[in-house]
Amino acid sequence: MASAWCWSCLSRLRPTTRAFAPTPAATPRITSAPFHSTAVQYANPVKKKSTLVANKYRQGQILKRKKKTKTERARPPAVGERKALRKRIVLSNPNALEIEGMKDLSPETMVDARLRGTVVGLPVATLDRLRAVQAFKPKQGWPIFRRPGTVLRRDTLEMGRLFEKISGDGDALEKGKVVKKIITGSKGSGKTVHLLQAMTMGFLKNWIVITVPDARDLVCGDTAYSPIEGSKPTQYDQPNAVSALLTRTVEANREVLSSLKVSQKHAGLPGLKPTSTLEDLAKLGFQDAALSWKVFQALWAEFNATAAAPGMEKNFEARPPMLVAVDGLAHWMTESAYKASDFTPVHAHDLIFVQHFLSLLKGQSLKNGGMLLYATSTSNNPSSYSLEVGLNQLAARQAGIAPDSEEYPQPENYSKPDSRVLDIFKPDTAKDGLELQTLGGLTRDEARGFLEYFAQSGLLRESVNEEWVGEKWTLSGGGIIGELEKLGRHVRTAAPQPVAQPVAAAN
Amino acid sequence: MVFILGVNFPERNLLKKSLESFFGVGGNTSSRLLARFNIHPTCRVGELANKQVLDLTAVLSDMKIENDLRREVLNDIKRLKETGTYRGRRHALGLPVRGQRTRTQIKTPVRLNRMERRL
Repeated sequence: MASAWCWSCLSRLRPTTRAFAPTPAATPRITSAPFHSTAVQYANPVKKKSTLVANKYRQGQILKRKKKTKTERARPPAVGERKALRKRIVLSNPNALEIEGMKDLSPETMVDARLRGTVVGLPVATLDRLRAVQAFKPKQGWPIFRRPGTVLRRDTLEMGRLFEKISGDGDALEKGKVVKKIITGSKGSGKTVHLLQAMTMGFLKNWIVITVPDARDLVCGDTAYSPIEGSKPTQYDQPNAVSALLTRTVEANREVLSSLKVSQKHAGLPGLKPTSTLEDLAKLGFQDAALSWKVFQALWAEFNATAAAPGMEKNFEARPPMLVAVDGLAHWMTESAYKASDFTPVHAHDLIFVQHFLSLLKGQSLKNGGMLLYATSTSNNPSSYSLEVGLNQLAARQAGIAPDSEEYPQPENYSKPDSRVLDIFKPDTAKDGLELQTLGGLTRDEARGFLEYFAQSGLLRESVNEEWVGEKWTLSGGGIIGELEKLGRHVRTAAPQPVAQPVAAAN
Repeated sequence: MVFILGVNFPERNLLKKSLESFFGVGGNTSSRLLARFNIHPTCRVGELANKQVLDLTAVLSDMKIENDLRREVLNDIKRLKETGTYRGRRHALGLPVRGQRTRTQIKTPVRLNRMERRL
């Protein structure tokens, strides 16, 4: 409809002067209707106008969503970075106090019974070698102290004496003996650190140290495997795992290996000269993974050589004893994650590398003497009933129960134990039999020495006295060292003073 | 990049996952394939030897996977329709085929079941 006013006339209308215009102050604004009893301030807030945009003709209602704005994300960490962080091992903490007069583990201190219960430092020279054999585990308490150290407990001193005997420092009769031990114990009882102590002693005594830091690595299906042709039942080779072991061994034992010369004839190893050192031999294996198993066998023959092959006597030197340490034995007592070509699981004992280490438990396996330490684990442990039975049998034999007596533990009826596992624990006719060593808790004196170490490092702000140690010893399940460590590192604040409460008069 | 059955896979990819990217190869088949050629379950594509790649390709090319398998499934549905079965009719109508209720929750058959079944 057309307006009665002409547009041009409207625009020419003069605005009224301010004097005539009603001023806002002059006319009181009506804030509430006279018939309302409620003040405006109590009224409901005015609703905002609906934001719905009026749609065009015949257009359906569309749900309009805001477009997601792309936010800059941090780049994911580089390949292997997260794993490196997870596996990182820190051995020193500059915030911890340095302990004056702390002794190092040395050939003298490792047998000194007077030092029982004190914490000795791991010699700096061995640290890199210990790292190379992966003796340290990421979750152990190394990063809270100034420098890594371990407590000399009874088992450690006993082991030190064994090292001395086998090296031939004491009794000549014991030289070249083979000690085979399976180490068990409850969680946190120090099995892995016991192995670490053994490795340190091995390095100090110039032994050859060979380790499998985690038995699981060989059976969890993470490294390549290939069947060995002509073996029946089929056995499997793990070239990359063997190659990794050779790398570790060379890294840690470079000094010993480079001083020994090849003394046997090894077929099928190109590039090996009669003047080659054992280091050169081992290097062949990790340069070419396909050769690694052959190289490992050759290297093993060299380690166990008691005399040189005819014609090669010139460079022969007596081989030092050997320490073989394996952690997490239970993983080798079940079926592995590998599959045979017909999709049946491969038993861990069919992996030739695993079988090699297990076969050492039988007979006079280390010709130049040495020690086999195979530890079980309680934190990462597949259940293996047969291993349990085997260990019980071993413990029974050690306690003097004859295998044909009724008390001798047997697998339960219908339990289907794994005969291959039980075979390992059968009585051995050789004089160097398999032993079972169960690690328990520390004694009170040892626990005191251990906790004093925390106090001296500045972690523990308590006066370490007999009563307090006794309390902590009990709390830790009888001196279980892992539990003691938790109690020791627990930083305490001063307890609030108890306020006297007024006694309620009534009731 | 490694060529397996005409597809280029980046070397960092897990072999098992890469095999499962073929239509008709699932978890079980891929595990069995790996076992058959003694390849460990966490193998990356780049770790394969040339011979293993050729072996895998040879076996995969003999299997009924990808378009052959798709065609077979479509033909089966087509046959059901042509013979006038109830199942064929339900496929064509975009309704559940195996006796499910239709009062609620039939989004998936509505989406997928049609004359040319989406695969």
